[in-house]
Amino acid sequence: MGLISEGDREYLREEFERNLKRNVVLLYFEEKGKESEYSLQAKELLEELVALNNNLSLTLKNCDDAEEMKSEELYLCPSIKVKSERNGFVNFYGIPAGHEFTSLVEAINDMGSDNLSLPADVIEGLKEIDSPVDIKVFITHSCPYCPGAVRNAHQFSLVNEKIRGSMVDANYFEELSKEHQVSSVPHIVVNDKINFTGNVPPGMFLDKIKEALK
Amino acid sequence: MQFSLSKKESKNEKKHFSTAIIGGGPAGLTAAIYLGRSKVDTIVFEKITPGGYIINVEKIENYPGFPEGISGQELGQLYTLHAERFGAEIRTEEITKLTLNELPFRIKTSNGSYTSDSLILATGTSNRKIGVPGEKEFTNKGISFCATCDAPFFEGEDVVVVGAGNSGVQESLFISKFAKHITITEMLDHPTAEPILIDRLNENDKIELLVSHSVVSFKGDKLLSNVDIKNIKNGEVKNLKVKGAFIYAGDVPNNDLIKDDLELDNKGFIITDERMRTSREGIFAAGNVRNTCFRQVATAIGDGAIAAHEAYKFLEENK
Repeated sequence: MGLISEGDREYLREEFERNLKRNVVLLYFEEKGKESEYSLQAKELLEELVALNNNLSLTLKNCDDAEEMKSEELYLCPSIKVKSERNGFVNFYGIPAGHEFTSLVEAINDMGSDNLSLPADVIEGLKEIDSPVDIKVFITHSCPYCPGAVRNAHQFSLVNEKIRGSMVDANYFEELSKEHQVSSVPHIVVNDKINFTGNVPPGMFLDKIKEALK
Repeated sequence: MQFSLSKKESKNEKKHFSTAIIGGGPAGLTAAIYLGRSKVDTIVFEKITPGGYIINVEKIENYPGFPEGISGQELGQLYTLHAERFGAEIRTEEITKLTLNELPFRIKTSNGSYTSDSLILATGTSNRKIGVPGEKEFTNKGISFCATCDAPFFEGEDVVVVGAGNSGVQESLFISKFAKHITITEMLDHPTAEPILIDRLNENDKIELLVSHSVVSFKGDKLLSNVDIKNIKNGEVKNLKVKGAFIYAGDVPNNDLIKDDLELDNKGFIITDERMRTSREGIFAAGNVRNTCFRQVATAIGDGAIAAHEAYKFLEENK
């Protein structure tokens, strides 16, 4: 039996069939030669996912390839980046396991379609941003409130290519969590400047971004 | 490692439903199952994840049919699948406004507007804050209300848990997988958790229970680092060095959407009769948000079934 249950596979086949209008590539950066159970499970999960739809593919990358990491604007390992012809920086530092599996599925559906579920005023506000915005959403796999915050960050990046949205597994990247004083999740850091906690509504999230840009 | 999928996307553009259920916990999803079987077109709105508050509970052991217990997350998923099997539409949208003074009832959400001919309120409760100095300042900076989310951050640390009811003791047992030492403070002179949980607490050498004690202040610099606790019997205050605090000091009803429209009891819970009818015709309440004497998954599902039955009768009588 694989990591994804048969019931979920059936659901995902239908979901991907309905949503994916274009090819979606999952880039998986791992430390080749130093694979842990953690990173091997991530790879296994991605292999099972891409087998569910012909529009999905997996490309394995090596974190030791500094040039490649730089060109993809990634700085932690392991990392999963979801790419397509649609603009957007949709990234996961660590494994999107537990409740975050939903975030990965939503990210794939978003990148493979034109889905956008943000209020119109928030979309307009996001379009006005003209400076780089880096959003880190620290999560734990057991946090049911976290996928909403991750989805907001990822969807923001679909609206404005200056925005980078990343999920960060707070327990795996312990040092980074300590650096940002993470003790409750979802904990969101914007441009390493503004910190806030909770799955706040998109409008409030946007206000925090604007605050970070002041 | 587990991979949990929340199946929530919908392509249904329908905007009017016979019944709208606010809250996708045990009461709301049970109502959806019963209404679905009665062929009533039903929508369920859940602001976080279908399953409701129970998805935060590591293991539920007193729900009949699962002698070994079941994780709250798994039970929530089963309720969701069950409701969907009978046709319920479940949307992960937060309600921003309800207009209840005329039919159809109007529902505004983070994503759009809907109407319904009847309404079942199953919005549940939230953890009550204890209102002492430092609580607001250190919330999410050491103080947490979600052990399943945040307990891993306190690996090898000392923490305090406020409240020795079922939630406080059960969550302390979970936190003990991570923390070095847990002090539970309970204002009463005895814990109120079920005896079976007290037995487990007594067997766990990481957990210390202080009855007749309350936390009187949370302190620290940027993050929580210590708390003052007071012995209620002799007034003595002592300081505990802790990195984390989890508060399980009772519940408050999630009544913001309806508090000006429906009759509430003096604690803010929605007043219903035994048929789950509220003070306004066509609106029913079920589960922890209503003025019930016992708040459990088992009682919530009973409420949900009755509310659905009554909503169906209301719809039939008002065709």
